[in-house]
Amino acid sequence: MSRNTAQWLAKPKLPPTHYADPAIYSDPRLFDEEKAKIFKKVWWLACHESELPNPGDFRTYRHPGDAELVIVRGDDMKLRTFFNICPHRGNLLVYTPSGSVRNFVCIFHQWAFNVRGDCVDIPREKPGYQDRLCKDDVALKEVRTEVGFGGFVWVNLDDNAPSLRSEIGAALDYMLPELEAEPLQTFWYYQARLKTNFKLIHDTNSEFYHDYLHVYNRITGMLKPDSGYFQRKYTAFPGGHASVGSMVVSYDSYKSTGRSVLGWPHLPPQGWKLVDLFPCITINLRTSVLRVDTYIPLGPSDVILEFRALGLKSDTPEIRRQREKDAAVIWSPFGRNLHEDLLASSGQGIAMAKGSQPMYVLQAREEDATIHDEVGMRHYLAEWSRRMGRSSADPYATERVGARAA
Amino acid sequence: MTANRTEVEELVYETCLRLDEKDWPGFLALCDERFNYRVTAYSPEIRNDMTWLDRDRAEIEEFIGMLPKHNTDPSPLTRHAQVWKVKMAGDRADVVSSLQVFRTALNGGATELLAVGKYYDTVALDGGRPRLLARHVKLDTRDLGWGTHLPL
Repeated sequence: MSRNTAQWLAKPKLPPTHYADPAIYSDPRLFDEEKAKIFKKVWWLACHESELPNPGDFRTYRHPGDAELVIVRGDDMKLRTFFNICPHRGNLLVYTPSGSVRNFVCIFHQWAFNVRGDCVDIPREKPGYQDRLCKDDVALKEVRTEVGFGGFVWVNLDDNAPSLRSEIGAALDYMLPELEAEPLQTFWYYQARLKTNFKLIHDTNSEFYHDYLHVYNRITGMLKPDSGYFQRKYTAFPGGHASVGSMVVSYDSYKSTGRSVLGWPHLPPQGWKLVDLFPCITINLRTSVLRVDTYIPLGPSDVILEFRALGLKSDTPEIRRQREKDAAVIWSPFGRNLHEDLLASSGQGIAMAKGSQPMYVLQAREEDATIHDEVGMRHYLAEWSRRMGRSSADPYATERVGARAA
Repeated sequence: MTANRTEVEELVYETCLRLDEKDWPGFLALCDERFNYRVTAYSPEIRNDMTWLDRDRAEIEEFIGMLPKHNTDPSPLTRHAQVWKVKMAGDRADVVSSLQVFRTALNGGATELLAVGKYYDTVALDGGRPRLLARHVKLDTRDLGWGTHLPL
């Protein structure tokens, strides 16, 4: 029987941990608060060290905390991150997403900075500034940078944030043998900008009940009793992170895969491991390809998705070509699964846009933390609630209490 | 056979028409048995070419055959190609065409530009009619939004 408005908007008869107020996916005020309380506080995976292998190589990164950054490898091989801004008049220092420099030279007035962030040239310095300002006064702003967990480059805008390792905790221990077996190399990087909320697309990596969306995953896993699909378990870690247990993927069951027998060091044959990191990073090793998703939220219904695929640095051209073929089956912009995931997340963004009348969103499945349990989302939203000081099921409760007291 | 440039150009345009119509058998009928289809894009972020599809004829037939089982954006795509270069040598022709692909939403009918790039086609001239031997779709566009399952 269909529901009227009051019934539609009523809270589910479930614990508040098992549903979310749809406003957390669309309210601009909550988004601004996420920026301050989450985006500017956590470690973000900005790139991989293989993307800047030589001294002077740089990569830009659009940080979700509203900062344009540039990561550069120094002449001492150390990776440093700076605000991509000239301290003179606020112009971008570099305009291209990657490149190689000896010095960063601002196009505007030719101020120059070395790859350690020191200002090394101010044209006509003395005639203009006399002794009132010198190069030492105008070095670049450095951002905390750490390299780890397979050579990924992580940045944090908060000078006082805990270390990367304390924030990740043990969440990646489960994949460390595979991530650190040997040097990795990025072979795909591309973006997709969608009109949806970053948490919705992260959900698609945090719950696998949505495998009903993917005929590929049903054929190669869910419908295979011996695959271990239904035995895959979520393990929750402090900080909103979670890992998903491995299984044996039956790639041959799906026609047209062209899928190889390639594997990955330490990963069991046809294995698949996945770790979700708060607030929106997923490290996903599917047999022969490591996929890493990082999202850059721009607004409550606006997000840039970054997709990377990685292989081993030691790959021969033939092996690399096969890894690309394997990745393309499901994960390229033409891939079987990615298109479906992005369609569904975009559909959520459309249907739950601000001003619509969406119902409470359910994450209520309980199946002993196995693959169709929605504990991953519940665990995520518990961390979100902790950091925001708001319940994801009732995000305005504290304000109501405050208003009553006043 | 002695193919002329017009026949080669018409083959390129006919492939666009067949693909626009989602007439997969019609498209494959224009392709040689040795057909190979690739989609690539260059990433300036990692300074590397990316191969997003690389399939031989059998694989592309299976790829197309599985489409009805998938959840796919049903919006029609319109391919606009303009043949720029045709270089005929012996029993083959190398053809370069500019390409724009538009997506028209089923709901409301608004059209947006999905992608720009080029077709690098190899055409077999050794049969009774020109046939597509290989197509390399080299995309300039890398952000394809929610993507597509359809060949461009």
